[in-house]
Amino acid sequence: MNDPIILLSAIIFAPAVGALILSVFNKEAEEGMRVFALITTVVTFVLTLMLWNIFDYQDPQMQLQVSVPWIKAWNINYQLGVDGISLPLVLLTSLISLLAMVASWSITKQVKGYLILFLLLETGMLGVFLALDFFLFYVFWEVMLLPMYFLIGIWGGPRKEYAAIKFFLYTLFGGVLMFIALLMFYFGSAGGEVGSTFDILRLQKIGQGLIPGVEFDGMTQMIAFWLLFVGFAIKVPTIPFHTWLPDAHVEAPTPISMILAGVLLKMGGYGILRIAFPICPQGAQAAAYVLVLIGAASIIYGAFAAMAQTDFKRLVAYSSVSHMGYVILGIAVWKVSDGSTVGSDYWNMGMNGAMFQMIGHGISSAGMFFMVGVIYDRVHHRDLNKFGGLMGLMPLYSGLAVGIFFAGLGLPGLCGFWGEAFTVLSAWNYSPILAIIAAAGVILTAGYILWTIQRVYLGPEYKGPHPEAITPINMREFSVALTLLIFAIAFGIYPESVFGMMRESTTLLVTNLSNTVNSGLEFAGNIIQ
Amino acid sequence: MPELNFCILIGAVLFVSGVVCMATKRNAIGVLMGVELVLNAANLNFVAFARYTALGLDGQILSLFVIVLAAAEAAVALAIALNFYNNHLTIDVDRADDLHG
Amino acid sequence: MEPDQLKNWLSLLLTIAWLLPLGGFALEIFAGFWSTRLKKTAAYIAVGCIGAGFVCSLTALCSWGMHTGYWAEHDYLTKFFQETPLGGDHAPADGHAADGHHGSEHDAHHDEHSAHGAEHGAHGHEHDESKYPTVFAGRYYQLAEFGSLQLEIGYYIDSLTLVMFTMVTLIATCIHVFAIGYMSDELTEDYVDHFVHVGEGHLHRPGRFYRFFAFLSLFSFSMLGLVIAGNVFMVFIFWELVGICSYLLIGFYTERKSASTAANKAFIVNRVGDFGFLIGLMILWTSFGTFAFSEPSAEKAAENPGLFQMLRDDHGQMTVEIADDGSHQVVLTGPEGTHKTIPYYLLVAAGIGIFCGCVGKSAQFPLQTWLPDAMEGPTPVSALVHSATMVAAGVYLVGRFYPMFTPEVLVTIAYIGAITLFMAATIAVVATDIKRVLAYSTISQLGYMMLSLGVGGWVAGLLHLITHAFFKSLMFLCSGSVIHGCHHEQEMPKMGGLRKKMPITAYTMLIGVIAITGLAIPGTYFGFQFAMSGYHSKDAIVATSLAYWGLNDQHVLLFILPLAGAGITAFYMFRLWFYTFAGEPRDQHIHDHAHESPAVMWVPLVILSFFAIFCAYDGEQGPLWGLLVHSEPAGMDHGFDPAAPGQIAVPGHHHVHEKMSGDATVHDVAGRYALAVAIAGAILAYLFYGARLLNPADVRRQVAGLHEFLVEKWRFDELYDAMFVKPVHVISGWIAALDRVVIDGFLHGTSKAAVDVSTWDRRFDEQVIDGLVNWVGDRTFRVGRSLRFVQTGRLRQYVMFIAGGLFGVLMLVYILTL
Repeated sequence: MNDPIILLSAIIFAPAVGALILSVFNKEAEEGMRVFALITTVVTFVLTLMLWNIFDYQDPQMQLQVSVPWIKAWNINYQLGVDGISLPLVLLTSLISLLAMVASWSITKQVKGYLILFLLLETGMLGVFLALDFFLFYVFWEVMLLPMYFLIGIWGGPRKEYAAIKFFLYTLFGGVLMFIALLMFYFGSAGGEVGSTFDILRLQKIGQGLIPGVEFDGMTQMIAFWLLFVGFAIKVPTIPFHTWLPDAHVEAPTPISMILAGVLLKMGGYGILRIAFPICPQGAQAAAYVLVLIGAASIIYGAFAAMAQTDFKRLVAYSSVSHMGYVILGIAVWKVSDGSTVGSDYWNMGMNGAMFQMIGHGISSAGMFFMVGVIYDRVHHRDLNKFGGLMGLMPLYSGLAVGIFFAGLGLPGLCGFWGEAFTVLSAWNYSPILAIIAAAGVILTAGYILWTIQRVYLGPEYKGPHPEAITPINMREFSVALTLLIFAIAFGIYPESVFGMMRESTTLLVTNLSNTVNSGLEFAGNIIQ
Repeated sequence: MPELNFCILIGAVLFVSGVVCMATKRNAIGVLMGVELVLNAANLNFVAFARYTALGLDGQILSLFVIVLAAAEAAVALAIALNFYNNHLTIDVDRADDLHG
Repeated sequence: MEPDQLKNWLSLLLTIAWLLPLGGFALEIFAGFWSTRLKKTAAYIAVGCIGAGFVCSLTALCSWGMHTGYWAEHDYLTKFFQETPLGGDHAPADGHAADGHHGSEHDAHHDEHSAHGAEHGAHGHEHDESKYPTVFAGRYYQLAEFGSLQLEIGYYIDSLTLVMFTMVTLIATCIHVFAIGYMSDELTEDYVDHFVHVGEGHLHRPGRFYRFFAFLSLFSFSMLGLVIAGNVFMVFIFWELVGICSYLLIGFYTERKSASTAANKAFIVNRVGDFGFLIGLMILWTSFGTFAFSEPSAEKAAENPGLFQMLRDDHGQMTVEIADDGSHQVVLTGPEGTHKTIPYYLLVAAGIGIFCGCVGKSAQFPLQTWLPDAMEGPTPVSALVHSATMVAAGVYLVGRFYPMFTPEVLVTIAYIGAITLFMAATIAVVATDIKRVLAYSTISQLGYMMLSLGVGGWVAGLLHLITHAFFKSLMFLCSGSVIHGCHHEQEMPKMGGLRKKMPITAYTMLIGVIAITGLAIPGTYFGFQFAMSGYHSKDAIVATSLAYWGLNDQHVLLFILPLAGAGITAFYMFRLWFYTFAGEPRDQHIHDHAHESPAVMWVPLVILSFFAIFCAYDGEQGPLWGLLVHSEPAGMDHGFDPAAPGQIAVPGHHHVHEKMSGDATVHDVAGRYALAVAIAGAILAYLFYGARLLNPADVRRQVAGLHEFLVEKWRFDELYDAMFVKPVHVISGWIAALDRVVIDGFLHGTSKAAVDVSTWDRRFDEQVIDGLVNWVGDRTFRVGRSLRFVQTGRLRQYVMFIAGGLFGVLMLVYILTL
């Protein structure tokens, strides 16, 4: 198992193999299939823990690299690897998938198909985070798209078709832009001894001007960066590409909402960190201000929009838009003055904060969606004005929910705090005005979360339909919620547990990118002028 | 080359007789006889050209083919006629219009 | 003990005191789900934890005093501590109880003591009289590290920390004990909440006794964490945590709409302040690259200096340069003695930003509106969280962060404090809910503290923090006792004459009232000064503000407002007491059912009233003052001369003790004025409400407009509602609509356009292209159809056709070859 190719491939394809085996199950054996799917996700999780175990915190480089020729004619490789940026996300993916699978017990329609698609989705997600070949990355990116489409479109709510198609088209649009950039890189990397390549690591080196004889010029980088950024920003999502998210979340079944918010959104941020920034540093530098602006605007915009919602899930969805704004903000606070990077430690902090925000948001938003799902399963509505009094009726559930919502609120001691605090603190170095705008988010966030808690959990009595259906939280739901809350608290109290994992890699990234600009390469600022 | 012309003339007569026979006979056997006449007219021409021109043995060989073919064709055609008779209790070809458009 | 050992010992004790309540919280919240709904187990755990925390804190304070030689140096308690082994007998060991040992000969010592102030206040190793630093700092664990930037959870222990720890744990212990009695009606499976109407009757719910104590424990943990915090970021963390505890406790009666709304309001208004705090943190973080206050060890300080060390030298002075473009620049001393400059305005902005957080937490103008509403929480919460500790955290932070504030920031703080103290006092005059009077009084007193810090009275402000904590928690508990005794009646117009029914409450309350109003008998008799704690602290504040006015002519309001406030305070506090306890009962029904509270409730009152009287014993010569002076920022003794760019002077100790008129010092003069107005206020209150010689209703009629304005709390709630709350909802509505209409509209428009295009495409396909193909097929079909007539199926005919055709072809060839 210590052979990287076996381990990494096992992680990626274990769910797919599980899906394959599921396909021979008897359609009637629902419970058996669920248990089997759960075991598959557990196995995957354990495999990722093994990966974590052999991962070396001190090594900033890509670890456990694997490269096997796949399509020789076009120099496409089956290339995998893991570093401090991808490992936390891989762990998050397998964890959230496991918990979402536990939450999937409430799915009763066409269980077999659901479970198969679910597991395929997990394969796609893990593949995206582990792929080091851009083509392979793209393949996994699209692989993950289809199961999601069906999971929303078949098991979703009343407007599922609309939501599924909206999700699909949005993401596909982004995927096409990414594909254009992919081709630009492929044909642009033709020089040098290796020839055209999809190897992300090599493309990064070319983009950073480290390979003699071949480079992406400033204009290419700018165009490619914007193509990639829009592609990834749709996934994140930032304004103005975010409107698929509320619809997809509202219509998706609870476990899928958990995955959507907990993992899928992170792919956008991961793509920006892994591909857009390292391959197009000049383009990224030129675009930094717009990115920070988009990040800050998303924070405020999402928070305002959340405040106006009356649908519980929609509110949580908009809170995701707001929270993911911090990710863009933190990644992009790359200040350059007179051709050299200023305060790279602050940028590093911003990147780490953004990464932490992805992890923290993965925990808290999955938890929030799960908590909405628990009550929705009972009363079958989500109208915020028709709740109330749940604290008295379901004290344990309400206590856990309030804890998880506090994590979303960014309370210190819970996982939501560090990402927000660090990205905002690092932003002042880049732009005081935008930092202040972003910091104003803390007020609005407190506003809509507390108002939600008041309307749903507090108050004397439950005001909506089906009061008789409100039963205490069961053991299965309790275990999911408790696991998430424990992670929220653990990361909140000891953030170094996450920072330690990714620090070396982000530092290396920041150093490399800073050097790119410092080394007097034709720097994108000139192109603008 | 009077001999050649003579042979071609006889061939032409035979051919026309065969065609007229095919066109006028209502009896299938009669039609078959016409076919034989046409084939033999062709054979005669082959042989004649082989004999009297510089074309060599090709004509004779081809006529041998035709003879073999005619034998086979006659066998098949008689089988068809017999079958036709079994189905229609007649061998009047005017009654056999199943292939009309 | 060596300094290192002492450091470890102190940090161990305080860490235990800090973490015990957290353990208590975990036990209580989980134990609550098992079986203790009807038992007081949770309360005993909570009291045990916080009580043990108090013992640890007190031990730490005593050890610190003994080992640094502080007690010996100041001649306090010398004998007592020399005879007591370390950590031995704690029972009588209250730092303030043995004040009597201290003789009046200390007066002579005082001037010298002042002169040494600079050394006391100096940071780190400069303390030349002792091998012990004034500050012990260290770290528990690292939160994160990015290159040269480090964030950690650490501790910062000086005498202020120790005093705060002792004060917080002591008051918290008393209030926990009190709450056992006060909350005992929650020990039931069927609690009836008379404030919530459901359907026809009141709400019935299971009691939540354990939950209350769990939240109290969590609060204690957060508050102690805030006090022990080793850097300002950690302060921010616990700042938010006390905020959320406050939220949970205000909203303890979750079923009451008013309670949950008040809780939301408290947290959100605090977040507004925290927004400023965060901006201040950003500026500091970017300009200084560290959050640590200061690093006591010289070697470490050379590598990683703290904020204070970067900004100020050993004498508390900062260096301001004027840059080429005429702007003022502050010179910072970085690691290894490197220098860099930042713009002066940034430092001012950072200071104001941090202060914004304090404004929110300490309910200062303009964010004061949440605190009166916070009285929705149970009374012990009001006593602990919303008067004694959490709301004082803002003052504490200003005190702790004092070296970072420029004179411009300080004057802002002073004005905010002055406005707050005056405004809140005026509102308190017309409030009729007993807890709300106390709430406004709290705001007003916090304003005093802020004012004091702002005008340079660092010790005076923090002394007032401590004294106020004791007498205000005392008064809140008394009001709790009254409310408990009157079956949850809080309106003073329905009370009166309760003195006879609940004597202990009444007289302990009177002690609190006298303490807060600062009444005293001038002079010293039999070696004692007949003055309670509030007298000393308020005196010191007014004296400093007078000294400040003396140095800065234009800031006369900073003296007038606190003086006026002192009179108003005396008026409304005595009004409260007379209203409640004196005269004839106004509501006979309530009076008949009133009863004195059980011992579990009045014993804490007695303990607290003891401290309300004695904690600031002997004022500026007393032990508490001396303790606080010990951690005073460097340079406060001499004050600060007017400096660019604000040209504002800050008075030091000697300014307060300068001769002003004749033999009287500034301090004496101010004290006389303050005492005079306080007595005037008290007499007026007696006339209105005690003797009832004057009828307040008459006055009310004459100034009806003003009265209404005050009753409506200066209309801040309406103003904020109109200025912020409604616009936020409107904007959020717009933004949601923007998503729905514009962005989704654009998308739907695009998809509609795509569908339209494809519809046209379909028509083109169906009609043009398909039409063409079909036409060709149709023609072909027709031709074929017309040819079928040739196919007769007749053999003989075919032969004729063949013959004819052959003939035709041959004829054609023939003709063509002609």
